[in-house]
Amino acid sequence: MIVVWILVILLVLAAIWLMFAYNRLVRLRNEAAQGFSSIDIQLKRRADLIPNLVESVKAYAAHEKGVFEEVAEARAKSIDAESVGDAVAAERAMRGALGRLFAVAEAYPQLRASENFQQLSEELTDTEDKIAAARRYYNNVVQRYNTAQQTFPTALIAGAFGFTPREFFELEDEGDRAAVKVEL
Amino acid sequence: MTLQEQIRSNRRRSILVVGGFLLLILAFVLIIGGAYSPGVAGVIGIIAISYGLISYFASGRIIAAASGARPAGPDEMREVQRILENVSIAAGLARTPPLYIIDDKSPNAFAAGRDPEHAYVAVTTGIVELMDRRELEGVLAHEISHVRNRDVRLMSLAAVMVGVIALAADMLMRITIWGGDEDSRLGVIGVVVGLMAAVLAPIGAALLQMALSRQREYLADASAVEITGDAEGLARALADLRDDKRPLQKVTRATAHLYIESPLRDHKGLRSSLGGMFDTHPPLEERIARLEQMGGFKLPQPAGAPSSSM
Repeated sequence: MIVVWILVILLVLAAIWLMFAYNRLVRLRNEAAQGFSSIDIQLKRRADLIPNLVESVKAYAAHEKGVFEEVAEARAKSIDAESVGDAVAAERAMRGALGRLFAVAEAYPQLRASENFQQLSEELTDTEDKIAAARRYYNNVVQRYNTAQQTFPTALIAGAFGFTPREFFELEDEGDRAAVKVEL
Repeated sequence: MTLQEQIRSNRRRSILVVGGFLLLILAFVLIIGGAYSPGVAGVIGIIAISYGLISYFASGRIIAAASGARPAGPDEMREVQRILENVSIAAGLARTPPLYIIDDKSPNAFAAGRDPEHAYVAVTTGIVELMDRRELEGVLAHEISHVRNRDVRLMSLAAVMVGVIALAADMLMRITIWGGDEDSRLGVIGVVVGLMAAVLAPIGAALLQMALSRQREYLADASAVEITGDAEGLARALADLRDDKRPLQKVTRATAHLYIESPLRDHKGLRSSLGGMFDTHPPLEERIARLEQMGGFKLPQPAGAPSSSM
């Protein structure tokens, strides 16, 4: 009789633990999804800025067609990206394209002096900072989410309930800033 | 401690603070009720509780008024507002708290408001002049951590409750000294107990307030590093605060614990000789040391500082 009761109690405890562990994984999954959509919001904001920026450069350097095409292509890729992998690839292409666009702008002092261009590039810098901030939040959450799935005892149920690790949104050049380990 | 655990622990502490203070008020009411009349006790109890409720819901505005903080205009300190937006995004906050400005040369900052939806972050003009972008980012991330971790609610509650206790103690003191000793049922004993309660309660309230905020500072430093990924920026900011000795002009005991560093600049004074019991903040040296360990770097020692002072 006692054995039965002990088994019942153990089962109840296991059920309670399961509930908490499952809820924790769900919460982290939602936070990660929310983190990704907040990166998306900033990426859209930048995509809206780019046509104006390209126009302002075109006014001085209309013959640099190659660069404009490259930027337009990167922008389209960035808008279409749905998975994290696509978004990271688009982000790399965008960085290269914008780098070349600004290199072109460098050669035209009048363009650089124009108020319109200055304001646009300031807004672009601000948006880039916000993309970086949103990425940092996303990566922090993904780290927690993936760790929860891989560590005992949550690892026992993560697979069974269909939780899969999420991809980090990482570009190569941010090694040391992201490497700081925080123990709360 | 994970973030969720910390938020939960803050919620528990908030309930504890409210419960503890309600008990204190109840004790007040009983003492007055015993020593004088239950009627007077009831009135004081009702005044104290309604004062508490009103100041909790108005705590953001009250604290702003008490510290001389005003909302920043849309174009004022654009750069600081941008850093604040970025830090809020990196912290995963749904809303960027508005920036408030305190016109004061002393470098300091605080966050207030009863919850993340009603929170704001205040900086002095002095801190913006003193610090570079990286340091400011660290300071603002520290304040945003207070908002995200629900520290602001706990701290607002503490500020409000200290105010309520001070009010009740003040009333009790007046009644004890000036109230009719003829109809006092407990006579001398009642007066002594009343006086003791009037003196001890605010001290107890203050101790609780300090104990609540010291641990919070370490946690907010750690969360700030998680947000910015830059322990050195915040450590350098704290070193700047350590080296600056100007006290804030407008500061009260009730709001002292809100700031990133004690606005009274009393960490080397008489209070510290009481074992730091009354300090609202942990020593800056200790906070810097923890950040150095987190980020694996070492800041240069301040010029002429005795190395054995800690």
